Amino acid sequence: MSIMQMNGGSVIAMVGKDCVAIASDLRLGNQSLGISSKFEKIFPMTDRVYVGLPGLATDVTTLHQQFRYRLNMYTIKEEREIEPETFAHLVSSTLYEKRFGPYFIEPVIAGLQKTPSGDLKPYIAATDLIGCLNFAKDFVVAGTASDKLFGVAEGLWEPDLEPEDLFETIAQTLLNAVDRDAYSGWGAVVYVLTKDKVIKRELKGRMD
Amino acid sequence: MDHFPTNWGRPRNDAYDAYNTYPLHHRPSAAPGHDKFADAVQRTQQPIVTGTSVLAIQYKDGIMMAADNLASYGSLARFKSIQRLHAVGTNTVLGASGDMSDFQYIQTLLDELVTDEFTHQDAHSLGPAEVHEYLARVMYSRRSKFDPLWNALLVGGFKDGKRFLAYVDLLGVTYSAPSLATGYGAHIAIPLLREVVDGRQDTLTEEDARKLLHDCMRVLFYRDARSLDKYQLAKVTESGVEISDSIKIETAWNFAEGIRGYGAQTQ
Amino acid sequence: MPDGSFSNPQQRQFNPYSDNGGTILAIAGADFTVIAGDTRQSEGYSIQTRYAPKVFRLTDRAVLAVNGFAADGNMFVKKVKQRLEWYRHAHAKDMPLRAIARLIQTMLYAQRFFPYYVYNILGGIEEDGSGAVYSFDPVGSYEREACRAAGAAQSLVQPFLDNQIYFKNQAAAPNQPHPAHLPLSDVLAIVIDSFTSATERHIEVGDGLEIYVVLAKGRSVQGLEGVRSIQELSTKSDGDRVFVIRRDLKKD
Repeated sequence: MSIMQMNGGSVIAMVGKDCVAIASDLRLGNQSLGISSKFEKIFPMTDRVYVGLPGLATDVTTLHQQFRYRLNMYTIKEEREIEPETFAHLVSSTLYEKRFGPYFIEPVIAGLQKTPSGDLKPYIAATDLIGCLNFAKDFVVAGTASDKLFGVAEGLWEPDLEPEDLFETIAQTLLNAVDRDAYSGWGAVVYVLTKDKVIKRELKGRMD
Repeated sequence: MDHFPTNWGRPRNDAYDAYNTYPLHHRPSAAPGHDKFADAVQRTQQPIVTGTSVLAIQYKDGIMMAADNLASYGSLARFKSIQRLHAVGTNTVLGASGDMSDFQYIQTLLDELVTDEFTHQDAHSLGPAEVHEYLARVMYSRRSKFDPLWNALLVGGFKDGKRFLAYVDLLGVTYSAPSLATGYGAHIAIPLLREVVDGRQDTLTEEDARKLLHDCMRVLFYRDARSLDKYQLAKVTESGVEISDSIKIETAWNFAEGIRGYGAQTQ
Repeated sequence: MPDGSFSNPQQRQFNPYSDNGGTILAIAGADFTVIAGDTRQSEGYSIQTRYAPKVFRLTDRAVLAVNGFAADGNMFVKKVKQRLEWYRHAHAKDMPLRAIARLIQTMLYAQRFFPYYVYNILGGIEEDGSGAVYSFDPVGSYEREACRAAGAAQSLVQPFLDNQIYFKNQAAAPNQPHPAHLPLSDVLAIVIDSFTSATERHIEVGDGLEIYVVLAKGRSVQGLEGVRSIQELSTKSDGDRVFVIRRDLKKD
């Protein structure tokens, strides 16, 4: 059994109209044995940059701390908050440093990016476990249910969704995908990032 | 084949493995005439003398097929004037890649079939669709016996005003398309063939079809190390099967001059 | 060993199977069934042909979709059709759908130790006039369902169908329970969306789409009006009827 699938878990991020959403399941398992239904994999890095870390659970913790450290160093040096795109490159280079002995994590980044005019533009990205960046205009997925997430998201997503519609879309996508994945599920959490607030909602899911 | 090294006729077996707790030459299995594999059935083979790609396309008047004249023995270009296109009856042509002995066996099968059919004198004759169906059954039943005929075959023909072109291989997998190729041709020639043929089967002229296949055979000769610059072309139309004499592919290698490792070395 | 003997050791490396990609799906309505499949046939990264049907009309009320190893699939369909013809000659009528389902399970299990590497989905109309879908694994395990996807993009399509057909994870509005069966026009839209999505994200899916629609005896063609490139395949117009709709999918 592959290390990527040992603990299970999936993350998805979607773009809406002037908003983004990122969501994950809450399962932590040991192969097919469920251990916890409170294992969060999405972390706020700044007020408007969120990162999801599906993969090997021990590396979720390690990478989260690593990112926090590097982010603090960046903030001190630059005396400003990091932008999502910059953070995505930080994630990428952090992972590629360990090219030949990687962290078993496929990060998903979602945030609102400052444009030169001062507006906030939705930004999402994902990388593989060695930091190959993938920007997308619509949605990105990762984790043990990634193929299911691709299928449902491709069917449900549409451009320019308002925050509440985006929430419904990402929630339905995640819930239905993880219900067909043995290694993901056991509840879910959704973050919707808008200009003036972040909405966090915890969802009940099937417990089988 | 005897797979046990101790049976290979050393002058003195006891000189080997002498210090083992139970030396090899003391074991019952080392007794002469005790080869477990000797009377085993050897069915699943591997291709020995092989032919490379076959190409075929549909065009305005029927179908056209091409295959070079080489039969290789591994990397050795062993037989350089082998014919890999075979007429079956009056409306069908068969092109073969893969094992040439299996292909020759298939030829005898088909010739027998055609003769049997002819002797019925019932005003029916085998068309390309029937030949293909027959071959598909033979190939599938052999793979199901774990004793495949190691070939990828193209069957083309023209009967009752209709074109026919289809593929069948050692697994019994079949399919049909306006342009088909086996082996390396499926990777190298198919993109070139599809670009010209697909959707234009009803308008493509004989001259254009001939030139297209010629160009593809040349590309294959440049890139496929198991190919030859000598090939035959078959066409099946209203007026029956026609298999050409060998055609020579003219090539140019002057580009190699300036490339180190290709032409003569000039530091 | 095929000859049943284990006495002689034999060397083997010939692999009698291959995977030819593609995806199939079927959805049952109250008085109709839709069975669909793409038409691409591939091996590895090579597209062998852009048109190789995977969905077959068996009778005026039964359609079979086969997916997996193409040689086994075609041979299996051929043998099922042969058995149905024998049945017709013996009983002067078409075999009922549930009987075809059991026949398929028996034929698959007969090859338990050298299986047909094929996933089957059988769709059609039962004797009571209801739409039905039966899905099988390669060795004959089967069940009747309302919808099923199989093949290369099963993992992409099935959760989407759970959501859109079974309304999974959707709460019904008060006093307005979810419908048990969707209308034909909705089902066709979902089928087309499923395949365009699968084509977008799976390399083995694409080129063409064949959608078979089986209508129960006496049902109107409501839901099929205005559909382009539709063709009727039924032999009688006063019994259950079969239609096929052909569409293009992306070829890349």
